[in-house]
Amino acid sequence: MRKLTAISMALLLAASAVFANGGQEKAPAKAETAAKKATKIGFVVINDESDQGYTWNFMNGMNAAIDKLKADGYNVELLVKRNTTESAICKDNNLELAEDGCEVIFNNSYGFEPFMLEAAREYPDVKFIGMTNCGSQSDGNPNTYNAFASIYEGRYVAGVAAGMKLNQLIAEGKITESQAVVGYVGAYSFAEVVSGMTSYFLGIRSVCPSATMKVYFVGTWGDATLEEAAAKSLIDAGCVMISQHSDTTSPALAAQKAGVFHTGYNTDMTKAAPQASLLSCRINWEPYFYTFIKNYIDGVENPSDYTGTMAEGAVTVTDLNTAIAAPGTAEKLAQVENDLKNGKLQVFDTSTFTVKGEKLTHAFALDTNGDFTPDKEEAVYDGAFHESKFQSAPYFAIQIDGIEWLNAAY
Amino acid sequence: MSDGVKTPLVRLAKRDEMKSSMVWAIRIGSILFAFLLGTIPILMAGENPFVSYGIIINGALGKPGYIRQTVKRAIPLLGCALAIAPCFKMRFWNIGAEGQITMGAIFASFVAITWGKLLPSPLLLLLMAAFGIVGGAVWALVPGFFKAKYNTNETLFTLMMNYIAIGIARWLQGGPWEGRPGTQLIPMFPEAARLPNVFGVYCGWIIVLVMVVLVHIYMNFTKHGYEVAVIGDSINTARYAGMNVGWVMMRTMLFSGAISGMVGFLLVSGANGTLNSDVAGGVGFTAITVAWLGQLNSFAMIAIAAMLAIIGKGSATLQTRLSVPASVADIVSGTLLFCMLGCEFFINYKLIFRTRKEVQA
Repeated sequence: MRKLTAISMALLLAASAVFANGGQEKAPAKAETAAKKATKIGFVVINDESDQGYTWNFMNGMNAAIDKLKADGYNVELLVKRNTTESAICKDNNLELAEDGCEVIFNNSYGFEPFMLEAAREYPDVKFIGMTNCGSQSDGNPNTYNAFASIYEGRYVAGVAAGMKLNQLIAEGKITESQAVVGYVGAYSFAEVVSGMTSYFLGIRSVCPSATMKVYFVGTWGDATLEEAAAKSLIDAGCVMISQHSDTTSPALAAQKAGVFHTGYNTDMTKAAPQASLLSCRINWEPYFYTFIKNYIDGVENPSDYTGTMAEGAVTVTDLNTAIAAPGTAEKLAQVENDLKNGKLQVFDTSTFTVKGEKLTHAFALDTNGDFTPDKEEAVYDGAFHESKFQSAPYFAIQIDGIEWLNAAY
Repeated sequence: MSDGVKTPLVRLAKRDEMKSSMVWAIRIGSILFAFLLGTIPILMAGENPFVSYGIIINGALGKPGYIRQTVKRAIPLLGCALAIAPCFKMRFWNIGAEGQITMGAIFASFVAITWGKLLPSPLLLLLMAAFGIVGGAVWALVPGFFKAKYNTNETLFTLMMNYIAIGIARWLQGGPWEGRPGTQLIPMFPEAARLPNVFGVYCGWIIVLVMVVLVHIYMNFTKHGYEVAVIGDSINTARYAGMNVGWVMMRTMLFSGAISGMVGFLLVSGANGTLNSDVAGGVGFTAITVAWLGQLNSFAMIAIAAMLAIIGKGSATLQTRLSVPASVADIVSGTLLFCMLGCEFFINYKLIFRTRKEVQA
């Protein structure tokens, strides 16, 4: 008995030595960073890099921006809070980063914003950026920001690639003109998704006028099983081209299994489905991170809302899968990208689509009274609906002719 | 030793009452052993275990802000452990605290969403608390009733009730209470529906500490508490003594659910400021560990809840500072819990190894 007590006491002593040690080793490291005065950048993310899609894409952009800043002689240090949930944890993580001395804190998920804003009120000197959302720019606090990118441009380009593939299938007699049906796996039936699928469809129709589209909303951002089931039912309904606004690669796999084609989102899916996936469009966050942090350190005020565009490299498409793409696609894409960049081409050109058989002449962009129906800023002018002009978060939520909604999920 | 019957290499035997100094030595030893085991995954992740443990402690207690967050984590753990303890004392395996918290949160949110802009703050908060208590209590009463009436398996029943409650919360979140369509988010409650802060943490910590005292009194100095203890020892004795066992079960579940519902209110009004389906976030299960490790003693549970909160918060910091995967931190805290629960076994039982004498005999 006594021996056991003695042993445990000895262990206890050893442990206290361990903790004392741990504390000591930390102290000089901290003093060192303080001496160098690195600007600390915080990043609160949902999931982690292992999702190979959403957060992976964000982290790639952030890491590239940090490397570039360091190469330019800026002393920056990145602190990341991974696996954050859209709850009080998000607020805590923001507070902790601020407490640890971060001067700029990015939040990468839509649902983080309300929690981030609460933390922002407690740290008015720290800059908080709610990415993909729209409440920070108008909350009256000067230290909160929004950012998104005109991903609809990328979707349009992906649509052109898909349309050319449909044309090839028609020319080869594999399908008739009326069988050029596209299936779209969407997450939720709100503006971000509707804007994306419409721009994709307009891209297709710009080269393949007989194309139509069916949309199925899965009601979640990422669920491999549901996305696969949705893709399968679309293929069963006659779709020969699948695209998606959801996080996993399962629609690509379903397309490959059924022998139809696919274009993806966020990440290159050609490795997952080499016989089906033509290309993906994605947002490249590097320019935004780089510019924002650089401006901050240089003392230049950043815009409270920012839309990254194709022209500045914030929206791109991944490498074309030339083994299965229709001949001439690469050249055509280069030309379309060029036209988008120099403004010659408008994605939501009102002469290219109709709403209930009529040309679109009027639509508001912003909701200012909180009833979730846009009521301010005319978005239709100069022959086009101007997306992401009045705020970075998409607001095109109109159902156009040619796209059939199989369901809706809010 | 008779022929044919082999003495096993190791036998178990119930221990006699141990000296309390010995008991505590074993407990502390098991914690140290857990930290020793915990070094393995940390080493595998390529980090220095000493530094890592230092970061865990520092990340939980190193700055006032860290301490505030640690306290914030401890509040629901302690509150929920208080809720579970009476049931477990009665040997009624209520593992439905998760759902009872969620239901309490839903009821409290209903008040905040419906009358948030109409009522003055104190009245609103009281009403939210009352609704939360009713929500949790009703959700707990259902399995309690069926156990008392039809002797259903309460473990399965309470477990299933969790998923239903979480499902309801998810439906509300994406349906009737959703803010901007498609967001899957319920808007933040108005300021009047938020609990005020005391020393930088929402005042829930005061409320749970008061509850600690109340539950302690209830369990140790009231007739109700005595009945619970007797049923826990032997249902037959309780029956023989003329207790209405079914009624006591239902009443205790009602009490337990009411406390869980209160915790649900604290979470939506204090910590989160809104409702989401993840509001309980596993607290209902972790609290079972807190209750057991605290030997169902309310005051001991304060220490255990604090310790788990420290490890939880510290692990989160570990993940950020060393960028070790979250799972490593989870393994370390899991090992700790396992060893701490496991050591209770060695306190109650002893291992007897086969001795040479026995073999020869």
